[in-house]
Amino acid sequence: MRRGPLLWAAALLAYAFLYIPLIVVVVFSFNDSKLSAAWVGFTTQWYVALLHNEAMLGAAFNSLVIALLSSAFATLLGTMAGIAMHRYKLRFLPFLVITPVAMPEILLGVSLLLFFIQVLHLTLGMLSIVIAHTTFCVGFVAIVVRARLAGMDESLFEAARDLGATPWQTFRLVTFPLILPAVIAGALMSFTLSLDDFVITFFTAGVGVSTLPLQIYSMVKIAVTPEVNAVSTLLMLMTLSLIIAASRFSPHLFKAKA
Amino acid sequence: MSKAKGEGLTRWWVIAPPTLFLLLFFALPSLIMVLASFQYPGEYGGLAPLFKDPARPDALAGLTLETYRFFFSDIIYVEIFVRSFGVALATTLVCLVAAYPLALLIARSPKKHRDLMVLLVVLPFASNFLIRVYSWMIILGPLDLLFSSFAVVVGMVYVHLPFMVLPLYTNLEKHDPVLLDAAQDLGANAWQRFWRVTFPLSLPGIFSGAALVFIPVLGMFAIPELLGGTRDILIGNLIKEQFLGSRDWPFGGTLSIMLTVTVLAFAALAAGLARGGAARSG
Amino acid sequence: MKAPHGGVVALLLVWLLGTVPALAGDRLYLYNWNNYISEETIKRFEAFCGCDLVQDYYSDNEEMLAKFAAGAKGYDLVVPTGNAVDALIKQGALLPIRKDLLPHFANLNPAYLDTEFDPGNRYSVPYAYSITLLGYNEPKMRELGIPTDSWAALFEPQYLARIKGKVTVLDSQRELMAAALKYLGYSANATDEAKLRQAKELILRAKPYWAAFNASSYIKELTLGNIWLAHGYSNDMFQAQQDAKRAQRPFTIGYSTPKEGAVLAIDSMVLHKDGKNRDHPALAHRFIDFMLEGRNSADLTNLIGSGNPNRAAAPYIDPEIAANKAIFPDAERLKRLEMLRDLNVRQRRLLNRLWTEIKLR
Repeated sequence: MRRGPLLWAAALLAYAFLYIPLIVVVVFSFNDSKLSAAWVGFTTQWYVALLHNEAMLGAAFNSLVIALLSSAFATLLGTMAGIAMHRYKLRFLPFLVITPVAMPEILLGVSLLLFFIQVLHLTLGMLSIVIAHTTFCVGFVAIVVRARLAGMDESLFEAARDLGATPWQTFRLVTFPLILPAVIAGALMSFTLSLDDFVITFFTAGVGVSTLPLQIYSMVKIAVTPEVNAVSTLLMLMTLSLIIAASRFSPHLFKAKA
Repeated sequence: MSKAKGEGLTRWWVIAPPTLFLLLFFALPSLIMVLASFQYPGEYGGLAPLFKDPARPDALAGLTLETYRFFFSDIIYVEIFVRSFGVALATTLVCLVAAYPLALLIARSPKKHRDLMVLLVVLPFASNFLIRVYSWMIILGPLDLLFSSFAVVVGMVYVHLPFMVLPLYTNLEKHDPVLLDAAQDLGANAWQRFWRVTFPLSLPGIFSGAALVFIPVLGMFAIPELLGGTRDILIGNLIKEQFLGSRDWPFGGTLSIMLTVTVLAFAALAAGLARGGAARSG
Repeated sequence: MKAPHGGVVALLLVWLLGTVPALAGDRLYLYNWNNYISEETIKRFEAFCGCDLVQDYYSDNEEMLAKFAAGAKGYDLVVPTGNAVDALIKQGALLPIRKDLLPHFANLNPAYLDTEFDPGNRYSVPYAYSITLLGYNEPKMRELGIPTDSWAALFEPQYLARIKGKVTVLDSQRELMAAALKYLGYSANATDEAKLRQAKELILRAKPYWAAFNASSYIKELTLGNIWLAHGYSNDMFQAQQDAKRAQRPFTIGYSTPKEGAVLAIDSMVLHKDGKNRDHPALAHRFIDFMLEGRNSADLTNLIGSGNPNRAAAPYIDPEIAANKAIFPDAERLKRLEMLRDLNVRQRRLLNRLWTEIKLR
């Protein structure tokens, strides 16, 4: 392992950059002042207030489920697209995959809303949000999976085939373990993209359906309270425990197949 | 079942689902907006009808090229495009410099630690976007750096850093350490080993990371709005203003299409470069 | 292991499709600004009507208009600002109000009725209002000798030079233009190109002294003391003032309506034609009438310092708020306030082109 002190220092700096604002979020969720400016004193009042705020908790729950579902769909479709682009040297699919990433969110939101209502006559609700989120996440997964496969030794796949493996066996035993880090990375990116999205969700959300970003953005004009810091902190803890739980279970899953 | 047939079937099983999904839920809805870019805005919002209503002969209706004429006849929009590409480029470069050591360290850490280290990169992004940007306002405010182009780039880098780290990591992780040993045996020092071995092999990761940072930055409007000063207008803001300010969907559509076309042209160029690079290094 | 999975999948499907079986009682769907009705009022209304009030929020009229323009359905009641009411009426998106179902309609102050865009209030019932004005750090303004009763503070380099980088203006084409037009002595609704260009020049001359176009964080920045002068809405300034007081800041926040005149924004309750309860208009009318009762209407003013168009609310309003001339203008001041009218396509495009230039230069 080549990990010199310089590399460590640079990497720790990057971690610090990622976590400094986060520390601010967590610290002010315990601050006894509505203004997140200076430390006044310790309090848990914002967490108590949050527990009584059904709208906010409901929205956080919706956000979490939407993010889980849409990142699952996006990872499935994106992995397929990534493999397809690598294997079959397609001309059309790469454009179809990258354009949603390039398309400004507002345009995507408005056009999906028009499409859902005027073409599909769909009643907006959770489903419309999940579809919309999947649409803009697929590209992210596909691009990462493809980058992982780029320059991969083709002889591995050929060897598997020559040994009489069916395409499914080749995938399960050779391709999937190889691309797994990219699949995980893609899933994590989709999860956070979905959890954070405001614009597309605003347009595709149905009546009485709210997500956390929708709740928080509507508070912007009236000033955000530390309750939002509290809910953000809890959401991070939830995500952390969800992922740790998943990684506890998944090794067995993967082992069984491998 | 013959092997060839099985192969053909697999091909369709892999290509069809993402293609069909994106055709239905992306290409089709986008076509509505492509059409909209050739329409007139509705008098009080939305879109004007495609066909003239005989009862209201002077109302706007039908198709027109005028939004494209606006775009091409006015230097102001080109200026905003150029400025946005500048910000996107700066963000991408800073992200690359910040992300590379991090990705490299994770890739070279013991396998059992890697997933946790990746998770630590993504975890801050499970909190809310707006609240993270607000934290930057709290940090930058007292330093007198808030409401500036600098603040915009800081915010942009912060929001997009994981999208550079993750593709880089997934690429670096598969590099064979044997290659580095070989280089060392040949007398290459650490810097040479990086420049001649690691870096060229990581180009696909760099390209995909750059794509996932550069492209979304172009459409972003919230960060300039919250952290920027009085001159920090980017394409994303301009497009937002058309939909949520002037109710000019056709012009908003046109701007989005011009942006998307420009980005795709860049992507095609970069893909060509990457292919050339891969050919050289492979 | 298999059976519970079936249950989970079924639950998920129900949740996804939003086909949760309706609970007992009716549901009224309100599309509103966040924090624009007090929790107590909601509880009282739900008890009164035996129904549920379901709220979704928008933070800008244009967001709401865009969503409806794309075909969103299901909201019975919306609370748009004047020019958005204007647009919705012209789009034919509203249902007429049945005044026979509103016994408390007479509570409304005639000064806020019979607007230009809805003569006779056929479609809209005033809910609350705000005034776009100047909020400021009182000691700083005194110390630096900056007039707080005139738009000059926002546009004149001689004053701005003393507060460079400590000023924010609203990130809104219509509002900022209106302020400039008012300062130049024109109507806030002027659409004449020469006048708009003159306003643009005025703005560009002052812009180097401003810190940002800001629609969201000025309340906080004022309270923290990072910003000394902000162009914004009266209820936001009220909040900044209260926050500063509660946090025991070493300064006070003041706000006043410039003498040249300003924009008055009346938010009104309207009925959308695609509401879920459009065939049972009685429910939505019960809500409107309930909000017209003095005590319910006063709740909001006491909560956020909004202007109140309801005469019956007066006895319930906190005397400190009631005495504030920036929230409750006297007849003399009221005359100088102007409501924004909606613009047509050509006017919007002209303004947008000028606005892009303002943002870029």
